[in-house]
Parts: sequence; C-alpha cells; structure tokens
Amino acid sequence: MKSIRHEFIKMLFQKRTYIGWAGLFVVPWLVSLAFRLSSGGPHAEGTDPADTIMQLIRGNGIYVGLASLFALATFFLPLLASMSGSYAVAGEAENGTLRTTLMQPIHRGTMLLSKWVVANVYVAIGLLILAVAGLVAGGAFFGLHPMRLLTGQTVGIAHGIGLIAACYLFVLLAMAAVVSLAFFFSTLTNSSLTAVAGGLILVIIMEALQAFSQFDFLQPYLFTHYFSAWTNLPRSPVVWDPVAKALVNFVVWTVGMTGLGYLRFRRKDILS
Amino acid sequence: MSAEHFDTHKDDRLPVACDGRPVVLSTHGLTKDFKRLRAVDNLDISVCRGDVYGFLGPNGCGKTTTIRLIFGLIHPTAGHVEVLDHKVPEDRTQALRHLGGFVDDPMFYRNMTARRNLRLLAEMNGHVSEERISEVLEVVGLSERAKSKVGSYSHGMRQRLGIALALIHRPDVIVLDEPTSGLDPQGMKDVRELIRGLGEGGITVFLSSHLLHEVELVCNRAAILTRGHLIIEGPVTDLHPASTSVKVLTGDQSRAWEVISGLAAPGKTRRDEAYIVTESVEGLVPEMVRRLVADGVEVLAVIPAVEQGLEDMFLELTSAGEEGRGPRVASSGTGKESK
Repeated sequence: MKSIRHEFIKMLFQKRTYIGWAGLFVVPWLVSLAFRLSSGGPHAEGTDPADTIMQLIRGNGIYVGLASLFALATFFLPLLASMSGSYAVAGEAENGTLRTTLMQPIHRGTMLLSKWVVANVYVAIGLLILAVAGLVAGGAFFGLHPMRLLTGQTVGIAHGIGLIAACYLFVLLAMAAVVSLAFFFSTLTNSSLTAVAGGLILVIIMEALQAFSQFDFLQPYLFTHYFSAWTNLPRSPVVWDPVAKALVNFVVWTVGMTGLGYLRFRRKDILS
Repeated sequence: MSAEHFDTHKDDRLPVACDGRPVVLSTHGLTKDFKRLRAVDNLDISVCRGDVYGFLGPNGCGKTTTIRLIFGLIHPTAGHVEVLDHKVPEDRTQALRHLGGFVDDPMFYRNMTARRNLRLLAEMNGHVSEERISEVLEVVGLSERAKSKVGSYSHGMRQRLGIALALIHRPDVIVLDEPTSGLDPQGMKDVRELIRGLGEGGITVFLSSHLLHEVELVCNRAAILTRGHLIIEGPVTDLHPASTSVKVLTGDQSRAWEVISGLAAPGKTRRDEAYIVTESVEGLVPEMVRRLVADGVEVLAVIPAVEQGLEDMFLELTSAGEEGRGPRVASSGTGKESK
C-alpha cells in the first residue's frame, strides 16, 4: 500500500494528470451544448445504438454520459490510457527518477504492480469525472428523466444510472487492456513518447483492421473489436454473450501484457 | 555544511580487512558486459568500516557502471556485490537498507519541493520524521530552499539534495558518484568538507571521482580503475610515494649517469628530459657531488624534484594499464552477455 500511495502522490503532482481529467470534464458539456444548438424536431430512431442514444439525448440528459463514451471510446480514452500506462516506467526513466526510486529498498515487482494499479486508477478517476460531468451537464441542459433502454422498455432514473455505471465499468476494463499494452511498451524503452506511440499505434491498427473483411478471423482476438460491447448492457434482458466474450478478451490482454512487462522489467538494466 | 554523527550497524560475522576493521562493501569477481564491451572486468574491492574510499579512474573506465551494480540497478554478467552480509543482486532489497547515495546526476520530481521529495523517497525505507528531514536539509545547506520546487534547483543544489537523501536513514555506507562534478569552487569545498566530516563521524563513504586531488584531500583508502579493471587498491598514503628525489644537471650527462646509477639503489635513477632524476636517500647527494667533481664532471645544478603526486602515479598506472591490455572486448567464456 505504501508503494501505491507513493505512486499516487507522484501522479497528483503531474500537470498532465489534470489536463487529461479536464478534457474528460469538458466533453459532456460540449456534447450537451452541441445537441442544444442543433435543430430540434422529431427524430427517426436507427438500429445503431449510437444513433439511438444520440436521438434520445434532446429529451433526456441521462444519455449524455453514454453519448460521451461513444465520442471518446475510439481515440481519446485509448490515448489517455496509453499515456497513463506508458509514463509508468518510460516516463520516469526519461526523467531519471526511475533510478532514484529503484535505489530505495523496494522490490521491482512491487513497484511495477503499484505503477500499474495507479495507471488504472488514473483512468478510473477520469471515467468517473466523465460520468459525473455527463449527468450534471445532461441534467442542466435537458433534465434527467426515466431512461428508455435500447430494447424499448423504460426504467427509473436510479436504475438508469446503475446501468450507465455498468457501461463505464466495462469501458474501464477495456481501457485496462490498453493501459497494460502501453505498460509493456513502457518497459521496453526509456522514452515515454515512444511507449505512447507504440501502444496507440497498435490500438489504431487493431481498429483499422475491423474495416477489412479479410482480417475477420482476427477480430475475436483484438480487444478493440469489443470496445462498443457495453451497448449490450442498457437492454432488457442484457445480452451477456458478447459482454462475457469481451471481458475474457480484456482480461487475457491485461494479464498477458502486464505479465510480459513484469518479465521484461525484472531483469532490465536501468541505465537512464 | 556540517557533518553529523552516525550510529553504524554492528555485525561480528562480517569478514575483516584493513587492520581488523569489518568489510562493509565488497565486490567479488564483478564483471559487466554491454554487448561486446566489457565495462567492468573481474573487479575485487573491499571497503572497510569507517573508510572514506576513493574510487578513481578516468571518464568511461567503469566507475558509474560499478555503482549501478552496487545498487542493483543493472545485473552483473558475473560475480556479485556484498553490502554487509547481503548479496546484490540476490538480496538487493535488504542490501539497499544499508546503502544511501546517488549515481550520475541525482534526479528528483521536479514539480515537488525538496522536502516533499525527501519525504516521498525516504518513506520507502521506513518512517522518517519531519525533524529528520529538516536535519539533513540543514546538513547540506538547503534549509532555506526546502519549500522550493526541485525544478528550480541548480545542478549543485540537486547534488546536495542527493546527499541529503543519502544521509536521511543513517545508512552504513554512502555511495557518491562524482558528487562535486559541476559545482563551483565553493560548492566543491563545501561538499568535500561534508564528506570528510562524515568520515570523521564514523560513516563509511564510497566516493567515485576522476579528481585525484579530491581523493588525496578526503580519502584514506582508494582504488584505481582503468578500462573496467582494478589497477591498485590500498591506503592513499601507500599509493602516494613519500620519498623525495633530486634532479641533476651536469656538463657530461653520460658520465654522470654512470656515476649516479652506480651510487643509487637499482632502478631508482631515471632520465627526465635533460635531467637525471634519482632518489634522494640520506647522504646520497653529498657523495654524488663529490664523486662527480672527482671524476671531472662539472655539476651545473642539483635541484629537488617535485614529489610524485597521486596524479602522476594515476597517469602512470592508467597508461600502463592501457598499454598492457588489448581491446576492451567481452570474452565469450565469462558468462552470458548482458542485455
């Protein structure tokens, strides 16, 4: 716990921490403002969950948080997760503070685990800010009303907020896979920019592969394939099969990449 | 800056050297290869309790690599380090509880104050009181800037803060990697006084330096390293020859050489540009002059030679080391190549 506290304090003293969180706070307000300024009138609801949620926002601010997830899930959140994971080792190596820390009596494994936990805590706090800002902005612009699910039924506000929380938790687990990927790159280099780029480029390549049917056989193994699977949660009944597949995929990537990072870091020569 | 007193770790199980003092830091066959470059080559050194131990060598000779090995930052290709009775890298965490210091330029979190940096880093080695933080900041002369962010610190101030962090848990051994590098003359003097004071207070200091004068000023024992290889280790007084010599200039240096080399002990006479230099043992100079005059050799000058300092010896030893060694390439038989 002492080591986690140590890493958490360091995170709080980084300016980039607040820049990322500020970005997440602003997005729901911009989404709300955009919908308020756009023309009103009746909307034809599509079959795509994103379209449906976008159409429902004007009548109910509770959807702003979910719309924000759609807006950010493909690039901004992976970027944030990638930055968080990559700074953990490479950022400190770049600043020379990695050796200062490792000259204290701490096990490398303990330090690495603490860094991984705090990198994910950073993303979790960011998602919490996004969710709360979504509810506040949505409530301020459109009011909060009972939530209409994607399957057509209506649930109370508290139940709706619970479902939104479940969607956010799902995205947090998806981002843990991205954090872990960047974390692994972070143990390979002394440049945080290289680690961010390594993690993010791989995420973008995975997303790009979805556009080509020739690579369909790869899709079940790529975590980006499941980024939008949270849309199976605000339904009645919940469609668990894709959610379960997604969670297994995220866990495998998270454990695999973190494990590889540990194996690399355990024997890494600290020359920075 | 003022020194402070340390209560040092006692352990009768430690091996002894240096006139019966326990060995608190040692390396055993320590070797480190970077791909095909052998940075540290089968290094065996022993630092005893209370030593202010100079670790001397030219830039790039493997001093910093050795310090990284001592702290377990890098893994040896062969051999190991012992800190008290803890082996590095196997028992690195326990060994680090007895070590303090820095390697290269000491680096800290730039957005934090000096005080917060010390608190954050020192707490990884157990509780540290605010009073103790104030004490070490006072020792290194940073009390007035304790609340300033480290990002605003000069190189010299970071060096001092590095020493403060090294001192904070009263370790058995402090390892300092060129602590006066980049400091102004006053800063160098302050740091040297601090190190000397630490030695007087009973703390063992391992001081890496390429400044020979510095080692002569503050150390009691030293090792000289070149190309990763130990050339010599021992008390600084032994490394520093005490004998004095004279330089002789005559009208016939060839004849004078025969006379002088016949009088002096074998191997104690050499040529230095136009002069003949010989060791000035008691009674030699009057006898030498008498003989030269008797042989009809005009004596033009007999002057004291400047005493050979550690610097001369260092250059002599390191250049001999360079000449006597082949390319600095890791052999394939010493263990696995480091990544």
